[in-house]
Amino acid sequence: MEHQLLIQGLSKSFPGVKALDDVFIKAEGGRVTALMGENGAGKSTLLKILAGDIEADEGSFSIDGQAQTYKTPLGAISAGVSVIYQERQLMPSLSVMENIFAGKLPKNRLGMIDYSRLRQDTEDIIAKFGLAIDPRASVGSLSIAYQQMVEIMKAYRRDSLVIAFDEPTASLAEAEISILFGLIERLREAGKIILYVSHRMSEIFQTTDDVIVLKDGKNAGAFMTSAVSETELIRAMVGRDIGNTYAGLDRNTELGAELLTVRDLETDKLQRVSFSMRQGEIIGFAGLVGAGRTELARAIFAADGIKGGEIIFGGEPVRFRSPKDAINAGIALCPEDRKEQGLVLSHSITKNISIPVLDKLLKARFLQTAEEEKLADEAVRKYDIRTPSVDKRVVELSGGNQQKVILGRWTNEKMNTKLLILDEPTKGIDVGTKAEIYQRICDFAKAGIGVIFISSELTEVINIADTIYVMRSGKITGKLSRGEATEESVLALAMKADG
Amino acid sequence: MNGKRFLMSKTFTLLAFLALLILAFGIATGWRFVELVNIRNILQTTSVIGLLAVGAGALMIAGYIDLSAGGVGTMCALLCAVMLSRGVPWYAGTLAAVALGIIAGLFSAFLINKLNFQPFIATLAMAQVTEGLAYLICNATPIPVKDPVLKFIGGARIFTYIPYSVLIVIIAFVIYAILMNKTKFGRSVYLIGANPEASRLAGLNPKRLTYILFANSGALASIAGILLMSRSGTANATGITKNQFSGITAAVLGGISFGGGNGGIAGAFIGLLILGSFNNAMTLLGLDAYLQTTAAGALLIAALIIDSLTARRTLSGKKPRSKAKADKEAAQ
Amino acid sequence: MKKQSALTAILKAKSLTLTVAAAVVILFFYIMNREFLSGNSIRSIMNAMSLSGMLAVGISILLIGGEIDLATGAEAMFGGVVCAAALAAGMPIPVAIIAAILFGAVAGLINAFFVNVLNIMSFIVTIGMSSIYTGLAYYLTNAKGINVSGAFLKLGTTALFGIIPTPFIVMAVFLVIYAFILRYTDIGRAVYMIGGNRAAARLTGVNPKRVTTIVFVNNGVIAAIGGVLLTARMHVANPGAAASGALDAIAASVLGGVSFAGGAGGMGGCFIGLLLLNAFINGLMAVNLPTYFQLVAQGALLIIALSVEYFNARGRQKRVAAEARELMKK
Repeated sequence: MEHQLLIQGLSKSFPGVKALDDVFIKAEGGRVTALMGENGAGKSTLLKILAGDIEADEGSFSIDGQAQTYKTPLGAISAGVSVIYQERQLMPSLSVMENIFAGKLPKNRLGMIDYSRLRQDTEDIIAKFGLAIDPRASVGSLSIAYQQMVEIMKAYRRDSLVIAFDEPTASLAEAEISILFGLIERLREAGKIILYVSHRMSEIFQTTDDVIVLKDGKNAGAFMTSAVSETELIRAMVGRDIGNTYAGLDRNTELGAELLTVRDLETDKLQRVSFSMRQGEIIGFAGLVGAGRTELARAIFAADGIKGGEIIFGGEPVRFRSPKDAINAGIALCPEDRKEQGLVLSHSITKNISIPVLDKLLKARFLQTAEEEKLADEAVRKYDIRTPSVDKRVVELSGGNQQKVILGRWTNEKMNTKLLILDEPTKGIDVGTKAEIYQRICDFAKAGIGVIFISSELTEVINIADTIYVMRSGKITGKLSRGEATEESVLALAMKADG
Repeated sequence: MNGKRFLMSKTFTLLAFLALLILAFGIATGWRFVELVNIRNILQTTSVIGLLAVGAGALMIAGYIDLSAGGVGTMCALLCAVMLSRGVPWYAGTLAAVALGIIAGLFSAFLINKLNFQPFIATLAMAQVTEGLAYLICNATPIPVKDPVLKFIGGARIFTYIPYSVLIVIIAFVIYAILMNKTKFGRSVYLIGANPEASRLAGLNPKRLTYILFANSGALASIAGILLMSRSGTANATGITKNQFSGITAAVLGGISFGGGNGGIAGAFIGLLILGSFNNAMTLLGLDAYLQTTAAGALLIAALIIDSLTARRTLSGKKPRSKAKADKEAAQ
Repeated sequence: MKKQSALTAILKAKSLTLTVAAAVVILFFYIMNREFLSGNSIRSIMNAMSLSGMLAVGISILLIGGEIDLATGAEAMFGGVVCAAALAAGMPIPVAIIAAILFGAVAGLINAFFVNVLNIMSFIVTIGMSSIYTGLAYYLTNAKGINVSGAFLKLGTTALFGIIPTPFIVMAVFLVIYAFILRYTDIGRAVYMIGGNRAAARLTGVNPKRVTTIVFVNNGVIAAIGGVLLTARMHVANPGAAASGALDAIAASVLGGVSFAGGAGGMGGCFIGLLLLNAFINGLMAVNLPTYFQLVAQGALLIIALSVEYFNARGRQKRVAAEARELMKK
């Protein structure tokens, strides 16, 4: 008898966005079912609901015909569902064997933990998967790949019927990927229901039996992997309704002098990244989550240290020691995590805008609050920030208005921003404000500011940027101009396997 | 409700609480509590704690804590006393003591910035080290302070009413209130306390501020130690160590919460007055001197409870970072 | 991933480094002063270890679970006062000891309440509790302490073979029992789990708040028993006793490899840490350094222990990062 996971009519809304809309999924035991879709298509929301992290608004799911009603992560586990996230749910200071058997450690007759049996049982599992891991090693001393293996073995030990992988290969090297596929193969042979979220085409064709495509939270197709082509899958993910918001943009047409050259930049996450841009140019960085785009932005801004390579800014080689140095040179960063890294939420609009220019607001060492407020007023007017007062705390503003506060910080009259790095500036922002922000980006370019525009929304990158770089695994894998870039070509570059 | 009004209402709540406390203590003590002489007493005895409260307040707004202020103050005062007894002029002794306080503060900051120590454990260890050094400096015997200038500062009064030490503390509060509210330094303290990473990415330097604030805490502690020694006429190895957590209590009572980013120096001043009134009333009411240690602990815990309960209701109030992080992990 | 050979495993073991360090310290002071290993000196080291050892057992477990109790010294002292007061009131010895244990349990419950329910950080709230117990003890004993006499003293003053003091034996038994509990029982492993990753622990069915309560209560009880033994040894329940108890216990635990970040360490290391700490501090007296130098040394040792922990952790991170880079290049 085949096992079966059936999800029907699943819907979930977050403020301002419908993450899942009447989703239907059928996955069978002994088969690997891929879940595909662009960033924001609803895959991770689906996994979170499966894992019991969040509750669905509507819909039901059942395993082998039995309706599941759990609402907590623990409930999911006892129902036989294990979701293996990229972020490990392990206890680093404990051994491999304890992590695998946590919650069900073998006991001897006296009720003591039986370590020799624990070790034996663990070795059995490790052998079953054909791995070479010391059961006594602490998990924290293992590489990320091996930690993931431990997590998989944990799911196996729990006898989970449904095992869902969230981009399992994102942080693995090729050699490790083949071990992982071996593991998945064993799970398949054992008749498990396997859900596999990945962006990498080659993997989908290599390991999966079925593909379910989501787009904007809705079902956008279900295929047998053997009967579908890469092009068909990409078309299903992209959809056909590409909007027309971009036609009316008032773009910059004149590029200025060379502004930034990055040569062979290396960090923990980046490998020999090189590119260059000119004043007034908008360059886009596309790629999948974790491709190294945010790391690149942070390295240029000196938010993280760099290991090698060269940055030439405004014609001179620079080596910034801190973000402050970068800001003084004319570089500004709007971070992806707006609430945690961009803004000081509990403070007012005014105080958030003036942070980098506090030095310029001093008169006899005292802050000129009137002048400070003028800056804030100016930003509110310029960007049309919807607020009754500049004293309002930023936490009370909507996402779009918060983003505008950050833009206001970097582009006011006291700043001398020459390069603006925008990391996912439209994430979680409503459509109307998005269009506004697109025009702003073009305005910056017209004013001679260079813009680095990082986005996971393919349509916006290929329609806004003059040049599009595609990244994968810490490397630049392609460079396209606005005319030649299509969603299909960018996705292909972002997902292609090495060699 | 906007920021200013919120702050005002918080200050107002504190003032109202202080007024009620004064009223209650007045009634309980048959109005001896509010006699001029007694009020002067309160101010004089709290002046030492006052300087600790300023240092602790600034640190806590930035999200840090210094448990070594008492030990550092005692050690520095003893250094000063030893130097004076060897004929060094008062200003040189004081300067040396303040320098030592700054060095101690910088060392704590070093442990926190460079070696990732949690602030409380770094400063707890420093409290032990400085306490030991204090005993070593004076060989566990009290050193009399005869210097006329220091004795004058410690004991004399302006117009026979306001003790100089009180004046010093009031001046300190005014200066720090201005620093915190009107300068880049103060603004940085608030911003970094509320979100160090966002502040850093907007061009501030959290690590440098940590050094400055701990050095500041050490300097203020050493002045507090000297003030106490000047007033009592002797320097000994217990010094202000017995008041080591009073500064923190005053700050928490005054609405500066753990986790950083909110509260103010004005609040800390009211917190100080609450603490001082409380201690004084306990004495007037004939509470055993030893039970006052208990009362001090109870007051600290009461302040923490209020902080914890109000932090949940306000948006800006955050849980302690470690906890908040753990809860976030748990929610994932 | 290759398996470690037995030899490298031993060489890498932290406890070996620590044992060597302790041996070096002992040898050094023995060379400086031959009296350091005399019967009297060894006995006084063992006596000192008995109190700090009891406290360190409780504190280690708290630290492993990610919490701390800075009132542990005061709880020990107050436990002693409760016991002495009960004896003075004419209660039988077992009842007096049970009274002290009950106090310890209540003290632990109070701490756990503040931490679990009010979300107050344990270090600050236990500082407040410490003042409360200290003040109360001074008040209740008129600052003079309560003398104890009679059979009760046997708990503290007798010695096995005339050399190993009874309190030391009790402490050693506790160490062994807790080493066993930590390693072989579910609750023991749960302490490691909540200290290592609270969210992951919850997913294995552990209730972090319940475990937190247990470790606080456990710590209070152990501290109180330590206080009872101290009282029997000193013939008096003195309100000034064990004032630096928490710091000693933390220093011994961290020296012994209990991580301040939670989730790591054990009783074996804790014992060697204790030995190192007490040998060092006693040694300072053996080389005639002023008594008060001890305070400085305690603080300094704590700083050193934490620094070592930091450098170890950084080394580990670097190694894992380097491995990851290697893999990326492949």
